[in-house]
Amino acid sequence: MIKLSLRYEQISCRLTVEGYPDVSTGQGGQAIGILTGWSLALAGHTELEGKREHLEALLQVVAPYARHLISSAPRTFGAPDSPVAIHPEDARHRLELRSSQPNTPPLTLHLDDAELADLVRCLDQLLLDGRLQLNLQTPSPQPLRRSELRKRVPLGRRMAAPLCGMAALGLAGAISWMVPTPKPGSFNPAQDKGSTNPMADPGKTGTPSGASQLPR
Amino acid sequence: MPDVSIALSRPTPIPRRGLERLDLMLLCAEALDLNGGEAMVWMSEQLGYQTLFPNRVELWKRRCHNPLRRSTRRGQLEVQDTDALIRILTAMAERLYPMLRQLLSAAEPASVSDQRWTLFRSRLQELIEERLNLRRVGVRKLLDPIEGPQICHQLILSLALSAGSGGVERLKASLLDPEP
Repeated sequence: MIKLSLRYEQISCRLTVEGYPDVSTGQGGQAIGILTGWSLALAGHTELEGKREHLEALLQVVAPYARHLISSAPRTFGAPDSPVAIHPEDARHRLELRSSQPNTPPLTLHLDDAELADLVRCLDQLLLDGRLQLNLQTPSPQPLRRSELRKRVPLGRRMAAPLCGMAALGLAGAISWMVPTPKPGSFNPAQDKGSTNPMADPGKTGTPSGASQLPR
Repeated sequence: MPDVSIALSRPTPIPRRGLERLDLMLLCAEALDLNGGEAMVWMSEQLGYQTLFPNRVELWKRRCHNPLRRSTRRGQLEVQDTDALIRILTAMAERLYPMLRQLLSAAEPASVSDQRWTLFRSRLQELIEERLNLRRVGVRKLLDPIEGPQICHQLILSLALSAGSGGVERLKASLLDPEP
């Protein structure tokens, strides 16, 4: 059986996939159902090679990273024990590839935005290629949660509204504390009886309330 | 809290903020391509959207649902209209990908890159002043000498990452993001 090879190319990236058709599932002669290996050549970086699980790990990390980047909410993808991880780093993207061999330091690649876009497009081409029938597990793009998007707003702007609210509340509290409250013991009915204040004499103001209105 | 995983399985109308971004990205494509308006109509025909957008006026009317527009239209845009606009945009981004890549590449000489960005921003500014409501805060931010270039870079990066058929679902998901 002839080994098949599929190649996906962009300006700075070339992804090559090799394998055989899975005849047990009735695949045609031009399809790849059994992956024997893949290689990724990024211009100016070491060529990467791996097996199916490494390709799946790369897809599971790069695709959601690109998804978050479109929403201006970049974050790290890839657990510490995962073979691939990607981190945002200033204006670049740090792709970390960890070897399964013990005592082997991880390989780190620093990609700029254009190189990352090339890599994403190569992976998109691979996923959309009907000849590749590997049933690779990749997360489908989803809208982000509000908490994930909150990070893109600077801390100062995020805190401005609650801080202003707290300041306004404090100011209102201070002002209300400065206003003198009438003391309950200072009320003198005798003094109020001789008062010329119309408010103190319900009869003059015509208000129906008060003891003077009551029949004797 | 509603589960976001089901958000894409049923047709969800794009929120106001998403419509703003979609139209701004189309505006960026027009700024990159001098004949962008014509290219958009041609792309619409190529993708088989003659019934949805039989002429450029219909296309323009859908884009006017962007609240930042000078002559904005009220109401919700139909899901099939937004889907068509997203597909037109991703197809245009694929066609313009070499230019997007040049703008984003750090390997380009700084002086050449600066010239390209200056040219792109000046064209975008002309389009913004012609079509968008300059009193809106979002538009003023785009024209701001400090915030504007950052927003432009983000729009170009989003265009590059949503180029081609593979970018359709990614872009659609990002346009459905809730407001932070």
